[in-house]
Amino acid sequence: MPPRRAQDHNYMAVDSDSDDSFIVEDGDGDFGADRTRGAKSKGKGKAVQKGKDKGKGKGKEQPYSWEASYTRSWDAVQEDEGGSLQTAVEDLLARGRRRRLLGPSTAIRRTIIRHLILILDLSASMLDKDMRPSRFDLTLEYARAFITEWFDQNPLGQIGIVGMRAGLGERVCDMSGNPQDVLKHISDRVKLEPNGEPSLQNAIEMARGSMSHLPSHSSREVLVIFGSLTSCDPGNIHDTLDACVKDRIRVSFVSLAAEMKICRDFCVKTGGTFGVALNEGHFKDLLFEGIPPPVQTGAAATAKTGPGNPAADLMQMGFPTRLPDTAPPALCVCHSELKTEGFLCPRCGAKLCDVPTDCDICGLMIVSSSHLARSYHHLFPVKPYEVLMDKSSLTITSPSVCHACALPFRESQQSKTPATAPAEGLSPLGRYRCPDCGNDFCADCDVFVHEVMHVCPSCHDPKPIPQPS
Amino acid sequence: MKFNIDDLPVVFPYDRIYPEQWEYMCDLKRTLDASGHCVLEMPSGTGKTVSLLSLIVSYQQFYPTKRKLIYCSRTVPEIEKALAELKRLMAYRIEHAETEEEKENERNFTGLGLTSRKNLCLHPEVSKEKKGRVVDARCRDLTSAAACEKGRVNPGSVPLCDWHEGLNELEPGTQLGRGIWTLSDVEQHGREKGLCPYFAIRRMMPFVNVVIYSFHYLLDPKVAEQVSKELSKDSIVVFDEAHNIDNVCIESLSIDLTRPMLDSAARSVSRLGEKIEEIKVTDASKLQDEYAKLVEGLQEADAARDEDAFMSNPVLPDDLLKEAIPGNIRKAEHFVAFLKRFVEYLKTRMRVLHVVAETPLSFLQHLKDITFIERRPLKFCAERLQSLVRTLSLTQLDEYYALQKVASFATLVATYEKVGFLLILEPFETESSTVPNPIFHFTCLDPSLAIKPVFERFSSVVITSGTISPLDMYPKMLQFTPVVQETYAMTLSRNSFLPLIITRGSDQVAISSRFEVRNDPAVVRNFGSILIEYSKIVPDGIVAFFPSYLYMESIVAAWNDMGILNEVWKHKLIFVETPDANETSIALENYRRACDNGRGAILLSVARGKVSEGIDFDHNYGRAVIMFGVPYQYTESRILKARLEYLRDAYRIRESEFLGFDAMRNAAQCVGRVLRGKTDWGLMVFADKRFARSDKRAKLPRWINQYITDTAANLSTDMALVLSKLFMRTISQSSTENQTGISLWTLEDVLKAQEKRKALEIDMGMQAERDEEIDEDEYGDSGLPDEILAEMEVDP
Repeated sequence: MPPRRAQDHNYMAVDSDSDDSFIVEDGDGDFGADRTRGAKSKGKGKAVQKGKDKGKGKGKEQPYSWEASYTRSWDAVQEDEGGSLQTAVEDLLARGRRRRLLGPSTAIRRTIIRHLILILDLSASMLDKDMRPSRFDLTLEYARAFITEWFDQNPLGQIGIVGMRAGLGERVCDMSGNPQDVLKHISDRVKLEPNGEPSLQNAIEMARGSMSHLPSHSSREVLVIFGSLTSCDPGNIHDTLDACVKDRIRVSFVSLAAEMKICRDFCVKTGGTFGVALNEGHFKDLLFEGIPPPVQTGAAATAKTGPGNPAADLMQMGFPTRLPDTAPPALCVCHSELKTEGFLCPRCGAKLCDVPTDCDICGLMIVSSSHLARSYHHLFPVKPYEVLMDKSSLTITSPSVCHACALPFRESQQSKTPATAPAEGLSPLGRYRCPDCGNDFCADCDVFVHEVMHVCPSCHDPKPIPQPS
Repeated sequence: MKFNIDDLPVVFPYDRIYPEQWEYMCDLKRTLDASGHCVLEMPSGTGKTVSLLSLIVSYQQFYPTKRKLIYCSRTVPEIEKALAELKRLMAYRIEHAETEEEKENERNFTGLGLTSRKNLCLHPEVSKEKKGRVVDARCRDLTSAAACEKGRVNPGSVPLCDWHEGLNELEPGTQLGRGIWTLSDVEQHGREKGLCPYFAIRRMMPFVNVVIYSFHYLLDPKVAEQVSKELSKDSIVVFDEAHNIDNVCIESLSIDLTRPMLDSAARSVSRLGEKIEEIKVTDASKLQDEYAKLVEGLQEADAARDEDAFMSNPVLPDDLLKEAIPGNIRKAEHFVAFLKRFVEYLKTRMRVLHVVAETPLSFLQHLKDITFIERRPLKFCAERLQSLVRTLSLTQLDEYYALQKVASFATLVATYEKVGFLLILEPFETESSTVPNPIFHFTCLDPSLAIKPVFERFSSVVITSGTISPLDMYPKMLQFTPVVQETYAMTLSRNSFLPLIITRGSDQVAISSRFEVRNDPAVVRNFGSILIEYSKIVPDGIVAFFPSYLYMESIVAAWNDMGILNEVWKHKLIFVETPDANETSIALENYRRACDNGRGAILLSVARGKVSEGIDFDHNYGRAVIMFGVPYQYTESRILKARLEYLRDAYRIRESEFLGFDAMRNAAQCVGRVLRGKTDWGLMVFADKRFARSDKRAKLPRWINQYITDTAANLSTDMALVLSKLFMRTISQSSTENQTGISLWTLEDVLKAQEKRKALEIDMGMQAERDEEIDEDEYGDSGLPDEILAEMEVDP
């Protein structure tokens, strides 16, 4: 698993940042081979789009690319004096580093067992093509990536999906802990075809209703991807807001157009985050900000356990027995299908297809130990590596290669003009040092350790790697 | 915080200050030192009121002369806001005063606001009346000297106002305690103590340090005589939101008469006659007394009015006070007959079915030829009527309202026979109507007439507003020489507003509200498409302004036929301003609600309407404002034509110059509604190709103009939309970042802020010196035409 994920992750990290520098201009099809993910759905989407346009006639939907808005993708990238894009790329990298540094490095109480309702705007305004290929396709694509990544980082969480379409809140997918289940529901684009106006109140009420039964130790979160600038509600949305505050539901918004007062109110009052996407890449960044588990606020913690004792909250979990391929086939309790593989609930012995889940028979939370371990890193994150600014911090014994990948450090060209580089948080020597074990890592490994591995390799295995001769 | 401007210690009630506030205070100080007048333009939402008050109060407290501050604002909410600001300032000053003596000194500082009886009345029945006029009349019935006398001698015979009676037990000057009283404070106090708030304030007026009231109390001669006569000569007068001050001046000296008003006046005259007959039988001596008094002349009666003690009244010039009332109207019955004749004459004049415009002189000549009414008795008409009303101790004066108007009309006509006035008779309401509905306008053409006494009497007059460009227009129109004349740019950490000028639609057809093309379907459609597109991309509230009600009606009807409104409804609700105040306030309330709950709304309103003048659309209530067309006045109006002609002849202001100036100041006023503070943001869309012309743009206030880039000055709809979308995204962005920026800024060390201030101070000192030099240069160099000056200001 790690190698594939590593690629995928690197790829995404670069992609998310470089999207603003590379926006496919052509509205008419070929969206570039570099984006293989979701290419299929785009093709399909296009076909549907065209058919619809013909049916409705032109003038409604901006059918021609020359009627679309001007995209000046080249404005986003600034060349340096030499005409090189190196500075721009480095700037993007540095931005990622700085963001990470902002995060707290000490242990913080976070919610590990998360429940999230993703609300997708499925109103007509999602057909707008100001984000390529369209807001809707992009949202689906990113939502899929988001769900995959979210489950990866929060294996104990559950996600449900609600759509806002034609003034109603539609349940797209029930709360589930299985990424495949959730992804299946948003894989079919045609079923989710945008239409009508959105209703924030209906959707949030529905999300609230489906989370009302949850125990107090789990977080209740709502993430709304909102492309519209209006909300047609049956009642007073401020009542819903108050109810959300009361139920401690954290509502976050990613808006695709502009800041709406009510959206911001929701975020401010419920402790969520609010963001407006500038472009495709930024949209993804904003969405993915929702992946790390939220910090548990003092108020929420003390409300449950009383002041002075914020840690006493035990819960039951079961570690299942995994059945081998060779086991005799039996019916599973979740789908009633005859299967050989599966997991057995340690309490009631029911056969389950996937973990983590709640046992359908006895309600015990079934997790595997590896899931629990993966969730753990949020509580004890890897400390940010120190940036080495000049040679003075190097000793003769300092290795000349990265401790992790064993490649020699690349010294940046920028070191000639140190005026700009230090402020950016980039090391001119290309070295980043772990504050605990004191080993140096290259920039790529720094990103990989912090964003994918979540554990410093040398702290756990202090043996030095052999130097290449 | 505390700092010094030159030698004056200024207490500013906030920890931070904007650079433009500092500059503003420096310039204000210069004006006060020089005992001169000034015109200052400061962007809306940058804390104009607080800087004004904090400087002037510091000035009052520091110098022993204790000049009084008269602060005139436009609306009651604005007055209340200013009072609240003053209260906060004084609380801060008391808290931060160093010695006990100083504290006491600050505590003794008294400030009051004054508004009409209607807003303050506590009487259970009177306060229920809806019309201000009726409240005034009923209040007078209960509180007039005659009624009080009668009531006290013989309790129960005449209804009296308990609240008013309660005041009489108090020493003058102690009706209210020291300190700052907002209007609601006074009302609360009145309720508790059983005192009339209105009269308490009126009686406190001579004893306070700060008076805050409406323009009319100083400019309208009829009111000013009663309210403002005791204000001392060295008072500091401030006109805030003064961009319309010329219109207020003109209105205060203009009178319109209609047929129903004349009918009512005629009825009042006959009722007066009956009353006189009645009183002759019962109490003939009363009339005799009055006659005797009149023989002695008004001079005797008003001996107390020595010339320095009160403002000279343009309605009653000095010579008039010294003269006796002419013989032919001294006797009550003669005067009634005289009035009857005059009203009848006016009625016959109204039968004419063509438009008449004449000077007061020719009107008087014609009057004399037909009815043998001379000028002199006419002049005394208003005064004589008052005297008669007093003698007869009439009640329910609101019924005599029309007659009072006719009398003051007569007085005005006879007094201002020479220049600056015109009589216009318009038999039909509109060009096309066939049923006559005559209106007799007596219009003042010269705004300087009404404000002249103010400039003559008070040494320092400050005229200030958010939108008062071009600055040199006001001194020209109001005939005064300012010591300081300054406009301030807005310093913003981010471009929080984006002005865009859309000159053509997506189909490249030029858009304009010019009369010839305004109903062209292509133009209407393009205006409509602007509305549709902006309703899609702007969150929450949009305010759209049209040049006139008429145009708004026609264009909305056309949009309805074209299906444009249906398209807009998908994204936003639509509300419309109407001339009816109640309807509009309901529309506004619902508009606000729609903006709050995320539905989004559009308010269609009219430049120069109620919405464009007094109502703020801050934050989500106005994320975009769209000006459909240039809000020119209705140029076919005869009154406007006469005024233009007069301005050209008397002050050499060209017609086009004045019209352009007037249109642009209204446009600026409209678009300024959306930006009410530095954290606020919004779009300003000017949809007319004429806005792109440099002469128009130069007339916009500097703080708006500095943000109109060349690329944004000549756009088609789709280009504007791209820019707007980008702006919406970026501004929504930085607002999150900006909040942390602001909070970090406030968390900064206080010492650091002080240092910064000190540096700024030195910097500003030099700046001020330089400014003075420049100012002198400007005065020396009067040969430069205005356009060039205006453009020079814009350039950097």
